[in-house]
Amino acid sequence: MLSVKNLTKSFQSPSGTVKALAGINMDVETGQFVSIIGKSGSGKSTLLSMLGALDIPTSGNIEVDDQDIAKLSSGKQTAYRAHKIGFVFQQYNLIPNLSALENVMLALEFGGVKSSERKSRARQLLADVGIDESQQARKPSRLSGGQQQRVSIARALANNPAIILADEPTGNLDSETGQKIFDLLHNLSRSKNTTIIAVTHDLDIAGKTDRTFRLKDGKLTTI
Amino acid sequence: MNVITRGVKNSLRSPMRSGAIILMLAISIGLILSMLVARSSVESKINDVKATTGTSITINPAGVQGFAGGGNPLTSAQVATISSTTHIVSATTTLSDQMGASDTNLTPSLTLGSFGARQQRFESSSSTETAPNNSATVSRPAPTPRIAVTGTTNPNSYATNGGSLTITNGATINGSSSDLVALVGSSLATKNNLTTGSTFTAYGKTITVSGIYSTGNTFQDSGVIMPLATVQTLTGQAGDASSVIAKVDSSENVDATVSNLKTELGSDKVDITSEAQQAASSVSSLTAISGLALAGVIGATIAGAVIVLLAMVMIVRERRREIGVIKAIGGTTRKVVGQFVTEALTLTIIGAIIGLSFGVVASGPMTNSLVSSQAASNSAGAQLGGAGPVFRRGLNQLNTNLTKVQSSLTPQVFVASIGITLLIAIIGSAVPAWFISRIRPAEVLRTE
Repeated sequence: MLSVKNLTKSFQSPSGTVKALAGINMDVETGQFVSIIGKSGSGKSTLLSMLGALDIPTSGNIEVDDQDIAKLSSGKQTAYRAHKIGFVFQQYNLIPNLSALENVMLALEFGGVKSSERKSRARQLLADVGIDESQQARKPSRLSGGQQQRVSIARALANNPAIILADEPTGNLDSETGQKIFDLLHNLSRSKNTTIIAVTHDLDIAGKTDRTFRLKDGKLTTI
Repeated sequence: MNVITRGVKNSLRSPMRSGAIILMLAISIGLILSMLVARSSVESKINDVKATTGTSITINPAGVQGFAGGGNPLTSAQVATISSTTHIVSATTTLSDQMGASDTNLTPSLTLGSFGARQQRFESSSSTETAPNNSATVSRPAPTPRIAVTGTTNPNSYATNGGSLTITNGATINGSSSDLVALVGSSLATKNNLTTGSTFTAYGKTITVSGIYSTGNTFQDSGVIMPLATVQTLTGQAGDASSVIAKVDSSENVDATVSNLKTELGSDKVDITSEAQQAASSVSSLTAISGLALAGVIGATIAGAVIVLLAMVMIVRERRREIGVIKAIGGTTRKVVGQFVTEALTLTIIGAIIGLSFGVVASGPMTNSLVSSQAASNSAGAQLGGAGPVFRRGLNQLNTNLTKVQSSLTPQVFVASIGITLLIAIIGSAVPAWFISRIRPAEVLRTE
C-alpha cells in the first residue's frame, strides 16, 4: 500500500520559488497499475522522484507499507531504492559499457543477491521479458529501443520490488513496441502483484491502466 | 561482476583517452623513480664522504699559515685548553722553524730558485735592483736557502699517507721527549751524507740523527723533525706552538667542537679549520643535486596527481548520468566511489608499470649525467692552496669519492616510488570522489 499525504515540493529559481507539487494526496493499493498524465513541466517526474526516494519533499508524507520514506536516512533511502523500488526510464538509462546481462546483475548486486546466484537469476529475468541468450550478451548500443526497455524492465524487477516507477516507459518507442512494453508491465502487475506507477503522455495507454491521475499545476486529480 | 571488476573494465572504456592518460602518468612516474634513484645515490655518496672524512681540526695562531703571515704562537695555556676541550681525544702539537746558515752546519738540499728568492726579498740584503717603474732603486736580499725544522709531539703526523711516517733508516723519535735527537728527511740526509748515529749542529747544540724518513714529498724530505720540547728549548720558545692538530671523537661533534674552541680560545686569536668543514663545502654540489632531485620528485608527483585528478574529474562529469542511475537503482555512494577509485588506480598502476620500467632503465644514465657535470665543476673549485698534509690527503680522497657516485635502485627507493604512485592515485581520486558524493540522482534524471 502506497499512501501520499499533502506532499509538496518547492524549488528555488532565479525568478523565485517554484512550487512543483502543491499538496498531493494519493492512495495506491498493492498490485495496482496506475498512470499519471500531465503536460510537460506539470511535476510528474518530480512526483516519481519523491516516490522513489530520489528526492526529499518539502513537506508531507509518503508511506510505503506504513513506513514514511521521506523521513528515512540517506543510507536507508538507498536500501529502500535497492529493495522496494524499480525504475524504468524513458531513455532506458542502461550502463553503456555493460552487457544486458551485466546491467541486470548490477541491480542484483545492489539488492544484496549472492554473486553465485546473480547470473542465473539475471538470465531468467531477461528471458521473462523476451530477451534471448544472444541478446543478453550484447551491450545496450547493439539492442533496439524496445529491447533496451525490456532490459530496463528486467533490471527494475531484479529485486522483486514492491513498486515499479516508470517515467514515460513508451515515450521513445514506436506505437507497436510501446504497446508490447505496456502489455509486459501490465502482465507483471498481474502476475507478480507489483504496484506500477507510470507517467505517460499516451492517453491510450493511460486509459488501459487500473487508475489514472492527472497532474496539473502541481495538483493531482483522479480521472 | 563487482565494484573492482567494473572499475578495471571502465578504466579501458575509451582506449585512446586511457592510453594518453597512462602515457602521461608513465612519464611522470618514470621521472619520480629516476629522481628518487638520483637522490638516494647522491645522499648515499654524501654520507659515505662524510663517514670517511677525518675528524681532524687544525688550530693555527691567527694570521699564521706555515711559515707565512704573522702573529704570536699558541701558548702552552692555549694548547692545554685545546687538549682539555670536550670531544677532543688527542692533539698533536707542532712548532715549526727554519734554520739558516748561522743556525746549523747542514747544507740545505733545496735550491731557492726564483720562487724561494722572491719569498726572502724583504730581508736584509746587500744587493740592489731597479723597481719595475724605474722610479727608484730598492734593496734585494741575498737569498739563503733554509732548512725547515718541525718540533712535534707525534712524528707520524708528518706522514702523507695517513699512516706512520716511513723510516728508511734507523728508528723514529719520541715526540714527548726533550732529547737532542732528530729524524732527517731523505733528501737532506743524502745532501749531507747523514745516516743513523750521525750528528749535526743546530742552534749551537749537537743533534744526533735517530733515523732517516721519506714521504715522497720533496719539501718535507728536505726538513728535520725533532721532539716538540727540543725545538721549543733550542729556539727559546718554551711552551709555544705554531699549530695543533686535534682529533675529535666523532664526525657529529666536529662542528660543535670547532665552535667551542673558538669560544674558549677567542676567534680573533686562532684560525681553526676542520676536514669536516672542507668536506661539507666539497659535497655542496652533491647536496644541490639532491635538492634538485627532491624538487623533481615533488614536481613529478604533483604533475601525476594533477593528471589523474583532471582525468577523473573529466570522466566523472562525463558519466554524471550514469552515476545518477547507479544511485537510483540502489548503488551506495561508497560503491560508486569505490568503482571510480578502482578506475583511477588501474590507470595509475598501468602507468606505474610502464613508468617504473622506464625509470629503471633511465635512472642510471640520468644520475651519472647529473653527477658527472657537477663533479667536474666541483673539481675545478677544490684546488685549495696552503693545506697541510692531512688536509691534502683528505681532499684528494674527497674528490675521488665525488666522481664515483653510482646510481643504485634499492628496494627502499622502489617501495617509495610505489608509495608515491599510490599517493598520486589517492590524491587524484579524492576530488572526483567528492563530486560523486554530491551527485543527486533526482537532479541528473530530471535533465532527461
